Amino acid sequence: MRNSGAVLILTFIAILTLQAAGVSPPGKPRLTSCRSPEKETFTCWWEPGGDGGLPTTYALYYHLENSETVYECPDYRTAGENSCFFNKNDTSLWVNYNITVVASNALGKNISDPVEVDVVYIVQPNTPEHVTAVVVHDEQGPFVRVSWEKPRTADTRSGWITLLYQLRVKQEKDKEWEEYNAGMQKYYNVFSLHPDKEYMVQVRCKPDHGFWSEWTQTTYVKMPDYITRERSLWIMITIFFVFIVVILTWTLNVKRNSVKLCLLPAVPGPKIKGFDKQLLKSGKSEEVFNTLVIQGFPPTTDYDNLLVEYLEVYDNEEQELVQDGKDLSEDCMKSKSPSDIDSGRGSCDSHTLLLEKCMDGREGSGSNQHQYSQHGETRWASTESSESQDPEPGSPESANGRGKTWPVVFPSPQPQPHHHYPVGAAKPAYHSVPEILNHLSPHAMSSNYHQLNHQDILQQERRFSKPACRHSQSYNQFNLDGIDTPAPGVAPSPSLEYVEVQRVNPENMLLLRPLSDPNREPEGSDCTREDYSKVKEVTSNNILLLQRDMSHQCVDDYSQADQCTTQQPPHPCKPAVHQSNSGMPQEAIRVMGNGYVDSTVLMPSY
Amino acid sequence: MSRSLKQVAVLLVALLCLDPHSRVSSAPICTHGPSGCHVPSLADLFDRVIQHSARMHSLSNDLHSEFEQYFLPSKNSIGKIYRKCHTSSILTPNGKENAQKLAREELTEVILKLLMAWRDPLFQLHQSMAHQQDFNSFSSNKALEMGDMTHELRKGVEKVAEKMRVLGMLGNSVTGLSPAETMLPISDSGEAMSNYELLYCFRRDSNKVQNYLKILKCRIIPEHDC
Repeated sequence: MRNSGAVLILTFIAILTLQAAGVSPPGKPRLTSCRSPEKETFTCWWEPGGDGGLPTTYALYYHLENSETVYECPDYRTAGENSCFFNKNDTSLWVNYNITVVASNALGKNISDPVEVDVVYIVQPNTPEHVTAVVVHDEQGPFVRVSWEKPRTADTRSGWITLLYQLRVKQEKDKEWEEYNAGMQKYYNVFSLHPDKEYMVQVRCKPDHGFWSEWTQTTYVKMPDYITRERSLWIMITIFFVFIVVILTWTLNVKRNSVKLCLLPAVPGPKIKGFDKQLLKSGKSEEVFNTLVIQGFPPTTDYDNLLVEYLEVYDNEEQELVQDGKDLSEDCMKSKSPSDIDSGRGSCDSHTLLLEKCMDGREGSGSNQHQYSQHGETRWASTESSESQDPEPGSPESANGRGKTWPVVFPSPQPQPHHHYPVGAAKPAYHSVPEILNHLSPHAMSSNYHQLNHQDILQQERRFSKPACRHSQSYNQFNLDGIDTPAPGVAPSPSLEYVEVQRVNPENMLLLRPLSDPNREPEGSDCTREDYSKVKEVTSNNILLLQRDMSHQCVDDYSQADQCTTQQPPHPCKPAVHQSNSGMPQEAIRVMGNGYVDSTVLMPSY
Repeated sequence: MSRSLKQVAVLLVALLCLDPHSRVSSAPICTHGPSGCHVPSLADLFDRVIQHSARMHSLSNDLHSEFEQYFLPSKNSIGKIYRKCHTSSILTPNGKENAQKLAREELTEVILKLLMAWRDPLFQLHQSMAHQQDFNSFSSNKALEMGDMTHELRKGVEKVAEKMRVLGMLGNSVTGLSPAETMLPISDSGEAMSNYELLYCFRRDSNKVQNYLKILKCRIIPEHDC
């Protein structure tokens, strides 16, 4: 009793003393890895946990699966410190090993955690051997052929183990390796290495199920200095192209001028007749532009057509007809003039300048139109659909009230284009009539008011309906030349008088008759009286039906109307109201937009 | 209508233009031996069979690691309780020497036994995997593929054996497997094995098969790849 107590106390003191000295039982060891290099043997390594200050021994124990027999490691030496080597006899494949390591020292022992190992799955072969890299010179270019041997321990001959190889290459200065898989073969050709550079080569292997071996020692190989075929090809191509470029440049240089002509064709200079470039360059614009003024423009002699919409003639003298050698055609044209030109003058006086009593001209308009349509250039100034059409510049404009304007060119300078003629001037009131581009048969001027617009000469193509013209008692002929002396016989009227244009004969003569002419034919010459007429109704075709003044045969055409689609030159006596669609009564008159009924004989534009 | 006519025309032209020698014609079944038929050599057969077994093993490996990853997080745990695989009754060499000591016939027989033993268990495995919600379809497809592959592999090995017998490399001591010798994966305790255990066992057995086939091949045809 006393002894046991003493022993206890002594042990206690001893432990305390030992602890004070820093010794303790060993720490727990740990199995780090087990590896088999050839699937026939294997080795396990552990790391000690701490020896506790005292000499510690380690022992490895294992048992196979489903067996309780515990064996100790047969060989602690072969594999080095803290290892256990299992030789062939002790190695069984496809069997689980349960391995533990026990560390023990004077104070105690410690057991590691057990580890399950199946040898088949822990195979890691040794590195390949005898790695060689040689430069092979080929017609394509040199390349490197790397070859090696299998690790000595691996038995691939019998098929027991199957190895896959891998190699990697890089230059000394590169960071990344270039890896290649060689499969089961023991050589590999590396291409596309740069000339005159040194490369490092390494090889490793792996079983089909297992771990990669370590990389072999580096093998160095130096590529020879050579010009790659690719580069030589590029050099040749470059030289060739440089040569071509030089030749081209030389050729271009020699043929400089023709090249210039080809690439930069000459820009045609202005080809205005009478335009002198030198004069322009000299800076005197007036002289230049003066040369542009063509005498005798607009040319009036050559054209057969006279297209005069409105012609306001102020003639003091009696209107006498002057034949200038040109015959107005028998046919009258109905001019389809738009709403009148309101120059403040009651322009749309229908009865002032009526070309013709064009009653049935309308009926014949269809045929006329047909006739005109044969001329390709015939263009009818359409005022019906003026809303939809864009008016030509200067062309008879839409029914918003602006009428056609005709350029007025006077052979002799006149102060205003359409003003009074000097009374008593022995020249006829004539206007140079604007030129008509097409070759229509002479148009009949029907409007009483014409404002000749200079620009319209060339552009206007008037369509004139051709009324069935009656004969005209008298007509005023307008000299289209403009230069000629005033036609004899035209007595200027002493006062403002409206003239009715009866027709235009082929020689571009306007056959006029004064409204107050007593010689007027009863058919169409009676009324010159200005009068207002009431609008009876407006048809669907934008036609105003005017109420006819029953007292007089002549229907006056001053009627306020909203719209004017086509102009209807109402004959005073026979209102040539014409609607091609329906036979309108004679009272129906086409009116123009601004309220004036145009007296021009129109060609309906159906 | 015109399209079909065109196609017919093109076909006719193609047929006409084809080299008459290269026309495809029906070939007779090679009942008369190697003449007129391309008969694969033993080396080719072995190669095919070995590739097949490699594929089978990799499939089993994948499934097993999937299992381990998702259902058994602890590796090398003490809690692993292994029951015996149902094929442990088949005596298999567990080392290189042992395997090399076996005669070709015995080795072939071992292989065939192993493959045979796994026919039904793999089918059951696929069934149970397909029914369980835990597995995605990919895994269950793999199991199905595994089963088919085992079946094909067995057929292939039988053909190889037949070929070897014809060539005189194999004696007649190879006993045919009796159909009655079906093994059920019943462990000692009588319970059916779990999916994981089945996979574990099959992984091991497929590795065995692959290894044995390689040994067999390099023993019979040592020329290439050995």
